[in-house]
Amino acid sequence: MRRNFRALILIAILVILSATALGVQKISVNGFERGGDTLLGLSLGLDLQGGSHLVYQASLKDPETGSPVSVSVDQMESLVKTIERRINSSGLGEPIIQILGNDRLLIQLPGITDSGRAKSLIGETARLEFKHRVTKVDPVLIDTITAQDIISVKADDWRADGKLVSELNPADINENTQSIVTFPGIIVEFSDSGSNTFEKLTLALEDSLTAAIEYSQKGDLRPPDVLNVNIEGDEVLRFSIAGGRIEQIENSNRFMILLPTNSGDVTNSILTSSEANQKIGATPQLSFELLKGYTDEYIGLSGDDLESAYPSQHQTSGAPIVNIEFDDRGTKLFGELTTAIYSQKQVTGQEDQIAIILDGEELISPVVQAPITMGTAIIQGADFTIERVKDLSLLLESGRLPVPINLIQERDVDAILGADSLKKSVTAGIIGLSLVLLFMTLYYRVPGLVAAISLIIYALMVLTLFKMIPITLTLSGIAAAILSIGMAVDANILIFERMKDELRVGRTTLSAINIGFSRAWPAIRDGNVSTLITCAILYWFADQLGASIVQGFAMTLAIGVLMSMFSAVVISRTLLRVLVSTPLSRNVRFFLPYSGEKTTKNQSSDN
Amino acid sequence: MNLVNNRFWFFFISLLVISPGIVFLIIAPGLKPGIDFTGGSSMTLLFPETVQISQQDLRDELTFLDFSESTVQNMGDNSFFIRTKELNEEEKDNLINNLTIKLAPNTTPDYVLLQGFDLVSPVVAQETILNAFWAVLAAAIGIFFYIWWAFRNVPSPFRYGLAAIIALIHDVIIVIGIFAILGETMDIEVNTMFLIALLTVIGYSVNDTIVIFDKIRENVLLYANRPFTEIVNLSISETIGRSINTSFTLLITLLALILFGGTTIREFLIVLLIGVIAGTYSSIGIASQVLVTWEQRHIPIPFRKK
Repeated sequence: MRRNFRALILIAILVILSATALGVQKISVNGFERGGDTLLGLSLGLDLQGGSHLVYQASLKDPETGSPVSVSVDQMESLVKTIERRINSSGLGEPIIQILGNDRLLIQLPGITDSGRAKSLIGETARLEFKHRVTKVDPVLIDTITAQDIISVKADDWRADGKLVSELNPADINENTQSIVTFPGIIVEFSDSGSNTFEKLTLALEDSLTAAIEYSQKGDLRPPDVLNVNIEGDEVLRFSIAGGRIEQIENSNRFMILLPTNSGDVTNSILTSSEANQKIGATPQLSFELLKGYTDEYIGLSGDDLESAYPSQHQTSGAPIVNIEFDDRGTKLFGELTTAIYSQKQVTGQEDQIAIILDGEELISPVVQAPITMGTAIIQGADFTIERVKDLSLLLESGRLPVPINLIQERDVDAILGADSLKKSVTAGIIGLSLVLLFMTLYYRVPGLVAAISLIIYALMVLTLFKMIPITLTLSGIAAAILSIGMAVDANILIFERMKDELRVGRTTLSAINIGFSRAWPAIRDGNVSTLITCAILYWFADQLGASIVQGFAMTLAIGVLMSMFSAVVISRTLLRVLVSTPLSRNVRFFLPYSGEKTTKNQSSDN
Repeated sequence: MNLVNNRFWFFFISLLVISPGIVFLIIAPGLKPGIDFTGGSSMTLLFPETVQISQQDLRDELTFLDFSESTVQNMGDNSFFIRTKELNEEEKDNLINNLTIKLAPNTTPDYVLLQGFDLVSPVVAQETILNAFWAVLAAAIGIFFYIWWAFRNVPSPFRYGLAAIIALIHDVIIVIGIFAILGETMDIEVNTMFLIALLTVIGYSVNDTIVIFDKIRENVLLYANRPFTEIVNLSISETIGRSINTSFTLLITLLALILFGGTTIREFLIVLLIGVIAGTYSSIGIASQVLVTWEQRHIPIPFRKK
């Protein structure tokens, strides 16, 4: 009896502890924090509160051979930190980031509604490079177009509707076409391969011009690339042209290179086509040179060398600025770069820049005002606003992803759907559980009622464990919890069936309880161990896949199964034993669900 | 009630239930694999109540938009599950916008609610298939060895392990077969959740089998001189009440979840429901009967004079 009493006290303490743990929404003791604003403070999975589940694969390639290189643990950890900081500073909520296996990242973003923004923030292959922008470049001979590629060179006039004046048909000349302007130029016929090369060159020149115009509209003067045309015929004819001054004659390998219409050409005169033809003569040698507006030279300084970047305000002017800090290697390289640019400006007056390029796109290209050898610098800009410096800092920081990553799995759940699923599951769970408890009580009478009470205690304790460990509750986890309630019921049913057997052969209620429990135990144990084996395998399976939903399910089921054994073997048994010591136990009918009279008969005949 | 001598009927009924599923499994495409196994994207779109849309409307529109390989499933309440090839962020937005413009013209994209979006790359899908295979195999082997060990005190414990595995395979085949039929008739796809459910069914099936085996284990030691058939029969009748009550309580909760829970895991619950019924049946009708048949080395045929 004393043993029963002690067990009863233990159960009471467990119930009170559980109820308190669940009742208090948020628990915080000495840095141990559990709970939150959710239902009972349980941590909810993405399918119940909405959010994004993203799995990224980190892949590193050898820059020279292009073969895959394994990613180090350090790189993975710094990847986690970078992404964590990026999402945290964006106000998208707190991400849960986990490394899966060697080279995968699981990023969970609970409650977010805009997965697109999160994904662009995480940045697929964002890489930051610092380059030396050389603003004065020597022209380079284009050696991919050789003498063999050039079939003919002569001067002609090009009409703005795309036709050559010397090749006009009578049909091309009428009242309407009289007024179309014409331009003098050099018509060059290329071989097939030469034509291809030249067409690409033409397009590149046009792109460069477009970019230069765009920059100039922002007040940033940046010269476009130009093509130097060099013809050595009877006389030398040299001129430079920018993009948009070359026209391909339709369906041919011929290109019209328009002559400069101002004094910008080398010969300092405006030529007509006949004048040009005189210079070209019969055996001209044609070559091209590309004069880049600027080049960005690789200096080996990348986002890896950047320690941090953060927005602030200029100490004296108060203007928004970006602060950058380099690590040791970065400090050295950045020092060399700024010193070189600064001293060149002092000597030759040529003002080079630092091009900061993120993922192939230029972020900003500041000039150098002084050599910076201490590793910390500020970037100022006339158009800098508080938002702009904040974004710039974030982007600079984001360039520090040590390893390129790509998305291999995504699961987004709308928050409304999640809340709806939670509400419905809870309702369904309560209905199901009530029906089970009702059935147990009606069918098994007093033991059934005891089982019902121990099941409620069981549910309390399982929920407490979920909250304290904590285990993230998902939809499938709820299903697992319900399945484990089934297991707990099963354990009780097994015991009661055994008890009934013992009662039928005429044992006293107390010994029937004791024998019933010990007889039922092997079946409960073996059945549950096999379920635990399945759980362990599910857990492993989920670990391989990064399927946190599956993992949650396995954990939930395992805890449920273990607790169900505890509930049946400790709680139900103690409660029943205590009950037996009361006058209730004298009426065996309370313990036998049906055919009570038959039992009495058995009892008397056995005696 | 002599359940054991009527074991032909148990095998016959099982065959009857399994056959249509097997037929559907063999006829292509059998089970409809979801994106978890093939890679691709899927989304659940909720259209506003004011818009009338049928599954066919969506199918036609997807074909028009060059997504002819897509599948569409009506989830009820104007919500549709659409499966397509792998979509990136831009393609996803374009598709949703196009569907909105065409099918719900007077609403904005915000009113066509994207309730869920999934993306699985082919690499992950490949791994899922492999891992699933290993998981099921590992579970079966682990359980087999555990039962063999747990029944080491009775003669031929090996048979108990194998009989439990046969019953387990029986249940898995029933569930897979029914889903092959559902896949063919209702476009229901199988995904990772289906696998989890299947593994849970495995756990339950074995759990249920073990209860009867435990009784047989006890009775074999208790009545060493009685014929094995009689012992099995006795054990089944002693445990049948518990078997039915346990499945009944589980079925109550599962039905409550299916009826009152959300649609998100309905398929998962249906697998469990079928699995619990099959698991209970197979413990009595397959696992125990396999033990007896193995012992006697013959299956009694009804209506045949002995």
